[in-house]
Amino acid sequence: MSETEAVRREEPPAQSSGWKRAINEDWAATIIGLLLLILVISGVIPTGLVP
Amino acid sequence: MSAGEAGVTPRDGEPAARSAPESTAGWAEGRPAGAAWPLTLAGLVVVLALAAVTRLLDKNVPGLLEGTALEDLGAAIEYPVYAILLGLLGNAVLTATGLRDRLAGGFRTEFFIKTGLVLLGASINLKVIATAAGPAILQAIVLISTVFLFTWWLGGRLGLDDKLRALLSAAVSICGVSAAIAAAGAVQAKREQLAYSASLVIAFALPSIFILPWAATALGLSPEVAGAWIGGNIDTTAAVTAAGTIVGEQALQVATIVKVTQNALMGVVAVALTAYFAFKVERRPDARRPGLGDLWERFPKFVLGFVAASVIATWWLSTVSADTGKATIGVANDLRVWFLILAFVSIGLEFRVASLKEAGWRPVGVFATATAVNVALALGLAALLFSGFSVA
Repeated sequence: MSETEAVRREEPPAQSSGWKRAINEDWAATIIGLLLLILVISGVIPTGLVP
Repeated sequence: MSAGEAGVTPRDGEPAARSAPESTAGWAEGRPAGAAWPLTLAGLVVVLALAAVTRLLDKNVPGLLEGTALEDLGAAIEYPVYAILLGLLGNAVLTATGLRDRLAGGFRTEFFIKTGLVLLGASINLKVIATAAGPAILQAIVLISTVFLFTWWLGGRLGLDDKLRALLSAAVSICGVSAAIAAAGAVQAKREQLAYSASLVIAFALPSIFILPWAATALGLSPEVAGAWIGGNIDTTAAVTAAGTIVGEQALQVATIVKVTQNALMGVVAVALTAYFAFKVERRPDARRPGLGDLWERFPKFVLGFVAASVIATWWLSTVSADTGKATIGVANDLRVWFLILAFVSIGLEFRVASLKEAGWRPVGVFATATAVNVALALGLAALLFSGFSVA
């Protein structure tokens, strides 16, 4: 194994698809939260429906 | 976000099946990449079932205990207590049956808590957010910079690895597991360092959920000061919400505003860490200077949802009668409670202490000392900045 390969195995790069997935979870929470709020104030989810 | 997603990977030679559960001390990481969706769905069903039991207990226990010696206790216990205890119980059962790590894909604490916080925004008048923003930002800047630098300094004095110092400093000064994950990505930490930091965060956060509300009452703090103390001190957002709920609605609102402000500043710290490690610690010749795009990438987007929900609800409430508005926002609050219960159950399900045993006493000492400094400083700042503040 070359020195470069050894370094690569010990210190894996920290940026990649990770942030994209985190961002997706952030956006998903934002979109679903706001969507639920709009459904509530527009009456689609009426009073008494949520246990 | 999984540890792998954050850019950290299992230690060399470690089988994937072992590395995944190792990191589930944090509720955000440790899920096996590409876990089969039926198992994720089964995990979600477990979380939902425990949440339903929590809701049932929360609604019925006070009535059942009325007129008995336990009446006061039944009335005092809030839903976060039931949810976390049931989560821990489920954790023990699933661990004993070998199912816990296979179902962990359904334990989406970060998603549940963020959705719950967006919905919480609907019950906070925009004026309250605008009024609290100034002291919350000031408190966050002083707390984050002081506690981060203290933890970094103490970690150095005790000979901790620079990357672990960065993770612990970010976790204890900003927002727990999320900050540890952000810092892990920024400094390219190893997987076990992230798992360990996340374990510490949760090991300290769980007792804080119960101790801080009790201490706030014992100290005679107003709900607003108690909320600012809880939001500034407890590391992780879910635990802040649980403790704030136990104190009461006003404390919860202030605690959330303070914590969300800290969350918003997480990106700044992550970008600063990226630059510091690239230019000062590792001196990488190919390193580029971070720009506004990096800040936006690391900005927690649910903060926008929280503010947007407040804007929408504040505007909508001005267009309807008070009774209609109260009843309708009550439905949004019920949904919020459900998402928070799902998050608290997930906290209990994901808690583990295995990786804590491996790192020795020094990181624990650093984290404990930093937490003590954080508690004292946050209390002083909360009393100074929020003593005249009123949510009502």
